[in-house]
Amino acid sequence: MNPIESYRAPRSLDEAAEILRTGNVTVLAGGTDVMPQANAGRLRLQPVLMNVRRVAELGGIAEEAGVVRIGALTTMTELLASALVRERIGLLWQACDHFASDQIRNAATLGGNVCNASPAGDTLVPLLALEARALLASKPDGRLEMRRVPLEQFFTGPGRTARKASELLAAIEIPLPPEGFAGEFYKHGARPALDIATISIAAGARREAGVLRGVRVAFGAVAPTPMRARRTEAALEGRAPDAATLEAAAAAAEAEIHPISDVRASDWYRRELVRNMLKRAMSHVGKL
Amino acid sequence: MSANCEIEFTLNGVRRRLTVPAQMSTLEMLRERLGLRGTKYACGEGECGACTILVDGATQNSCLMFAADCDGRDLVTVEGVAASGLGERLRDAFVANGAVQCGFCTPGLMVQASHLIEQHPGADEATIRRGIEGNLCRCTGYRKIIDAIHEAAKAKAHE
Amino acid sequence: MSETLIGKRIPKLDAPDKAIGKTRYIHDLEVPGALHAKILRSSEVHARILSIDTSAAKRLPGVHAVITAADVPWQRPIGVAKDHLPLKTDRVRSLRDEVAAVAADSEEIAQAALALIKVRYEPLPLLASTDDALAPGAPLLHEGRERNIAMTFDYAQGDVARGEAESDVVVEDVFRLHYVTHCCMGVSGVIAEFDPGGGLLLYSNTQVPFLHKREFAEMLGIDPARIRIIQPPIGGGFGSKLDIYPFEPIAIFLAKITGRPVKLLFTREEEFLASPTRQPVLLKLRSGCRRDGTLSFRTVETVHDNGAYTSWGATTPFVMMQTISSLYRVPHCKYHTSAVYTNNPYAGSFRGYGNLQATFAVEAHMDKLAEAVGMDGLAFRLKNAQDPGEITPQGMHFKTCGFKQCLTTAAERSGFLEKQAANRARWRDPGPVKRGIGMASMLHVGGGAKIYPSDGCGTILKIDDFAHVTLMTGASEIGQGSETVLAQLVCEELGLPLSAVSVVNNDTDITPWDVGVHASRTTFIAGNSAIGAARKAKSKILAAAAARTGVPADALALREGCIVDAGGKKLFELGKFLRGLHFSDRAELVMTSFYYEPPSKHQDKEFRGDVSAAYAWATQVCEVEVDTATGIVRLLKVTGAHDVGRVLNRLGIEGQIEGGIVMGMGYALTESLVVENGAVRNPNFRDYKLVTAPEIPEMDISFIETMDGEGPQGAKGVGEAPAICIAAALANAIYNATGTRLYALPFTPENVYRALHGAAQAPAWGKAA
Repeated sequence: MNPIESYRAPRSLDEAAEILRTGNVTVLAGGTDVMPQANAGRLRLQPVLMNVRRVAELGGIAEEAGVVRIGALTTMTELLASALVRERIGLLWQACDHFASDQIRNAATLGGNVCNASPAGDTLVPLLALEARALLASKPDGRLEMRRVPLEQFFTGPGRTARKASELLAAIEIPLPPEGFAGEFYKHGARPALDIATISIAAGARREAGVLRGVRVAFGAVAPTPMRARRTEAALEGRAPDAATLEAAAAAAEAEIHPISDVRASDWYRRELVRNMLKRAMSHVGKL
Repeated sequence: MSANCEIEFTLNGVRRRLTVPAQMSTLEMLRERLGLRGTKYACGEGECGACTILVDGATQNSCLMFAADCDGRDLVTVEGVAASGLGERLRDAFVANGAVQCGFCTPGLMVQASHLIEQHPGADEATIRRGIEGNLCRCTGYRKIIDAIHEAAKAKAHE
Repeated sequence: MSETLIGKRIPKLDAPDKAIGKTRYIHDLEVPGALHAKILRSSEVHARILSIDTSAAKRLPGVHAVITAADVPWQRPIGVAKDHLPLKTDRVRSLRDEVAAVAADSEEIAQAALALIKVRYEPLPLLASTDDALAPGAPLLHEGRERNIAMTFDYAQGDVARGEAESDVVVEDVFRLHYVTHCCMGVSGVIAEFDPGGGLLLYSNTQVPFLHKREFAEMLGIDPARIRIIQPPIGGGFGSKLDIYPFEPIAIFLAKITGRPVKLLFTREEEFLASPTRQPVLLKLRSGCRRDGTLSFRTVETVHDNGAYTSWGATTPFVMMQTISSLYRVPHCKYHTSAVYTNNPYAGSFRGYGNLQATFAVEAHMDKLAEAVGMDGLAFRLKNAQDPGEITPQGMHFKTCGFKQCLTTAAERSGFLEKQAANRARWRDPGPVKRGIGMASMLHVGGGAKIYPSDGCGTILKIDDFAHVTLMTGASEIGQGSETVLAQLVCEELGLPLSAVSVVNNDTDITPWDVGVHASRTTFIAGNSAIGAARKAKSKILAAAAARTGVPADALALREGCIVDAGGKKLFELGKFLRGLHFSDRAELVMTSFYYEPPSKHQDKEFRGDVSAAYAWATQVCEVEVDTATGIVRLLKVTGAHDVGRVLNRLGIEGQIEGGIVMGMGYALTESLVVENGAVRNPNFRDYKLVTAPEIPEMDISFIETMDGEGPQGAKGVGEAPAICIAAALANAIYNATGTRLYALPFTPENVYRALHGAAQAPAWGKAA
């Protein structure tokens, strides 16, 4: 780990944004990624380490006017304990249940998972399918400002996001899915959790008169970023989830993913999994 | 030169004030600065649970936590858990059920189990298995650990 | 009548301290004034070292010493073939190779100093596989050899040509076994300290302290008597601590050069990169049987990837050939192994010692041959399983043998035959998830293994004037519970409660000699030794009591802390009686020593001989669910039947077997050390997957008590047995579920998926050595 010249622990969003404005800051929340990555040399710490854990404005889960706002500091454990998350945005709840271990779920934050921007990040795939937005705070002219970025545009590469160095992720906003929306999260692995996803899938739709409507599909670990699968959605939209439709969707998915081979799996196997598990997930969704 | 941080926190019920380097982990602080060696290093990456401690009543891997972040918080290590009523019950259950072999993972499991039981008194087998999924054990095959926690959880539920 | 302790559930004596974090492992020890050491490892897989510049590192404040091979010209090669210098001189042969080392005031300073050492390398051709290493013109990894072959082993019995001619069915397959590593939860470490007279004190996790005393003495050119090894409690062994590894001599060098105690601990990454492995094996098995199901022959050839240096891994053929020759009755058999040098991590010993690999192949063929002659797998195995009293052609004398009971018990308790037939009938059913059941058995030494001329163990037993027993044994506790079982055996002899015994087992200056903790030998060998010492103590006490009372000694007994007569009447409370000895010429109270040497034989040059005083069997039945759409295999249940001689501590033996089953499951399903071009790609628990609690199967374990005549209270060794045949049983279960037979481990989801969908690369026989 390279030396830390200054450690800051602001207590308000305003103070945090002010520190960020001066630059050269690594933001620390739960620590579950920063610490091991810095130790392994995969993350070069900036001279200033800013621990945002005491910023009260970054906590809380609340719904207002059909939008769920989840503070960036919300831990996986807090998400799992939230009836609102479980009942209304179950896709995210399922992903949290597959997230690491209890010890890590108690520390890891949603904001941290989003900013870490791993192509395999567990919560990112359902967030994409839920059409979530990142709420970014900064003080460009000495005044606290917020901007919203749809997550689909937020992830720009492995570990890279549209967040500027002077910005802090304040919250994730999720528009409540329409009535009747059913979703299924699939993370590949023999363990329930404590695993990096080989591939993951978040899929959801409404079922109307036997056909799928408002289909949303997102994939993890099959491209440089977690991805919304628009062509796959198009292959499913307005169709009954029968074998032919599922096959067509699988073909569409295969055409739009770009998996790589690494120590966890080959690109070939990732493709096979996306095909097979998309079909399985969508046939579940079709029955829900 | 690395920054130092003044921190103040509660450790096993005792107030502590300490100056720590900004990059020090809580694990290192506990073991090397405070001499509490029941908390074990086994991976340093949050993958094994041997360094599990309680922070404000919830378990965390102390290897992933900056010592500076302990400021204002309430920490309990295996030494603190062992001194509690639930800790004694867990210790007895671990011993009686043969849940200890080489013992290196055991302190972390004791802490995790105490948290699990506090959260889910009377936890069933499936809950216990999931509850300790972040604790690796190479000796026992987990069966007797699960049994020990189950026994302690049942006793706790009947309190 | 006092109750026996034998067969009871006895909690481990060391468990309470371990549970509350009070036990001090090597990582927890503080030696005042100790320096902290770190090792600089090679950045090249195979290269010539052109120069090493340590000047900047030496200038770093807080650095006490920076050493390279040039600083220890007297260093001697280590390892089984003495082909391995702790600090490399002019060449590195693998990425783990030790190039330099630092001792400093703190680990951080030592780490910082490593970064200041400049090494220039000239890369050499990479031998990434045994095929590369055996190719004509391949560079030689070690001078003075004609080829890159570390060791070869040949064994034969009968005439395989005749065996084949008499066969009605012959099958031949190539099996590929993968790399795994021990993953002890406590990382490797050592503390070395010299006294002013040049004597060495080592705090070490070794499993073989007495053998290592001698080896360290040879290496340092000092009298072995000047070396004292203290073993703090070990955070897992599993065979990984049977050899000397470079980090140990390096810590000693640094202690010698600095005149300070030196502590060296691995990081987890280092543990993955630089501790021993279970090596990859390519194995070609040809076997046959007659139409009636009688096995006729086995021919085996294997190529072991030995890695860059020779440790115990090269000698696993000792155990493999026992399985080839004697797991089931085989009249004709031929076995050949070459351990081939490569630039990969080198191979050590690991629970089961080659037996997992051999059994994987043999038990696949047991199923294939059974199917070919139209017999069920159980009947076929029973037809070829040995009976008590048999002596195998390799010379193993099965004085007790519960093999057939293991087979029938595991089959009956699991409903093997019915389920096997039902699963098979569902091969063509729709639905991606299939069920399977598979069986495999194993044979392993259960009464020590005379791989050295002696396989003995000494005991010193002292009883104080409060009737408290101190048992000093040469046997090491590595978590398996030997301390507790030895105390239990002594209590059984002396009629004392467990609380009356302390065990001292960790200091070579105190404890008598023992060959080491390996080969599932400790309960059997150290147990017999402890019983011997306890019986001597008992006869001393009873003789003294006879002298006092006039009652003949053989009419007296020890029970419930008292000396009793034939009618059970309490004559003396033992402590009080012993205190009385203060006023006699027996003021030493009671002190005995006993040395036990098992009635086994060192193998002859043809590898024949009754190498163990007893043999252990097990049959394990695995039930699985295979998801053909993902390749995920879920192990649902293991039904195991183990010939353990006799259960001594039921809690302890269950723990050994459950832990072994899950370790065997990890070997088969989840663990794989990925080595590509000499580099370990997954040196962490994130990608090297140990089994976690949610994954474990239901376990139904039966003990077959054959009451071995040589065993302590009838017991046999069992430490390695449960890990050995899980992978083999799983392969058979996957076949039963899907109709696809897997010949290569591990059965990770992708490998299984590929095999099920015809996209796997079948193991091919490479360049035969």
